[in-house]
Amino acid sequence: MTQIIKARALGKSYRGVRALDAVSFDVEAGRIVGLIGPNGAGKTTALKAILGLTPFEGELVVMGKNPYTERDSLMREVCFIADVAVMPRWLRVHQALDFVAAVQPRFDRSRAEGFLRKTDIKSFSRVRELSKGMVTQLHLALILAIDARLLVLDEPTLGLDLLFRRQFYDTLVNDYFDKERTILVTTHQVEEIENLLTDVIFIQRGRIALSTSVEDLGTRYVQLTASAEQARLARQLQPFHEREVFGRVVQLFEGRAPQELQKFGDIRTPSIADLFVAKMQGEAA
Amino acid sequence: MNVMPMLIRRELWEHRALWVVPLVIAGLIVVAAMFPHASMQIDSADVATPQKYMALFALFHSAMTVPQLLLLSVLLPYYLLDCLFAERKDRSILFWKALPVSDAQTVLSKLLVALAIVPLGVFVLTLFTDVAASGILAVRFHGSPLVRAFLRWDTQAWLHTQGIILVALVVVLLWYAPIAAYLMLVSAWAKRSAFLWAAMPPLVGMLIEKIAFGTTYLARFLGYRLRIADILGFNHAAAGRAAAAGEHASGMLERMRPWEAFANIDLWLGLVMVAALVWLTIRIRRHQDDG
Repeated sequence: MTQIIKARALGKSYRGVRALDAVSFDVEAGRIVGLIGPNGAGKTTALKAILGLTPFEGELVVMGKNPYTERDSLMREVCFIADVAVMPRWLRVHQALDFVAAVQPRFDRSRAEGFLRKTDIKSFSRVRELSKGMVTQLHLALILAIDARLLVLDEPTLGLDLLFRRQFYDTLVNDYFDKERTILVTTHQVEEIENLLTDVIFIQRGRIALSTSVEDLGTRYVQLTASAEQARLARQLQPFHEREVFGRVVQLFEGRAPQELQKFGDIRTPSIADLFVAKMQGEAA
Repeated sequence: MNVMPMLIRRELWEHRALWVVPLVIAGLIVVAAMFPHASMQIDSADVATPQKYMALFALFHSAMTVPQLLLLSVLLPYYLLDCLFAERKDRSILFWKALPVSDAQTVLSKLLVALAIVPLGVFVLTLFTDVAASGILAVRFHGSPLVRAFLRWDTQAWLHTQGIILVALVVVLLWYAPIAAYLMLVSAWAKRSAFLWAAMPPLVGMLIEKIAFGTTYLARFLGYRLRIADILGFNHAAAGRAAAAGEHASGMLERMRPWEAFANIDLWLGLVMVAALVWLTIRIRRHQDDG
């Protein structure tokens, strides 16, 4: 496996507040990694450090480069979509194609035009004349036509309706992703990308709360749904989170075999969303 | 890969006023040449000597071109204050920085637009405007004393006039380059209201100096940097003598010695300052995201 991102003791402060505190993680090629955390947890700060948009403390290597000092050469192999607001409003669609074609050697213009033909976007339109969804389509058309090795998405579907959100991720997985490429994505809508992710990194108050592959998730965590009496008995096995749903108790366990738990009730692998809520509440408690 | 030409085109896409306004003015001058009130009286004594002829010729042709160049003193400061400010205001800096273009390339492309592409482009435009407008006038007033005096085509005199204007333009650009670089620095640095931030340091500096020391060195220095007549070699004494001798005051261009500015060490020191300010601007832009 090729290492795409290596972060060791990554740190960053904004006016004395630790936005990132000794964060270490690795991202390998061919993975789809979800960087998940509440507002202000440090997700965007971490992405900005990876993209070379902000200086940082500690060690950070992205495809063998220091992103801050080598941003321009790194960006030949990295693409970035932030939320939809960042495309300049005065830019025309054909100008966007001209510009990217001139500065990005890995850009395949005909591919981008192919994507755009499937949309209602006109070549002479300015970004400000497009709907939010269309701006995202345009940005995606530009990005997908770049033969990049790492794609970084920061809340890419923020403010889009369900149809566009679904289309966005479908296009991403069908037309872009392959074993050579890596996607790093942050989002609030965990449920939406749950099925795409191969890895998750939970981040809270600038620290890593959990970093695991989705395969490992199934062996590490078990969710038990049981009656109140059974749950009381199961509590001896130390669930790290517990909540009540329609009179039944849902408990989450780490490092317990399913066999140990199935006698108390129904067991399954927790969803990433459930695990996220549990981890965040557990940490906060 | 033609990154620099594309970066320059990008500036002209975003800041359309840089070429639209000069084109509109050029159009107006040409249109105005079609409907003049022929009220200009030419006294044959006015063009009696080659000097007087040349002065009047130069005055006429510079009247066709200099207004468009003066317009740049409004367009370019506005552009420079906006060029690195707008991308942070609308957060599009994240889009631009996600492309493999270095901060140095970006900053230099903007400075190049302000100090070379637009001014020299407008200069070329003024040449066409001049030829078109004076051609129209020459046809309309065919046979009149006006045409005999200086509307007839005189390649040598024309090249001479435009040559002086071009050298003067280059000198002005080089002389004002530190101010341009300063405005660009403010544009990259100011969180809001770049105009205010650009004006503040000199004003506050002058105020503090006046209150603390009772001196006005900063004001005098800035005045020196802003005043262009001296650096263009415009000879006040000669102009005064000419006026006293009852000569036409029209020979302004003829009395300019813009090339002498290249011997002025302050011009070159200013360019050293430009290099420092540009370096700082690149550092600032590298540091910046949308936050």
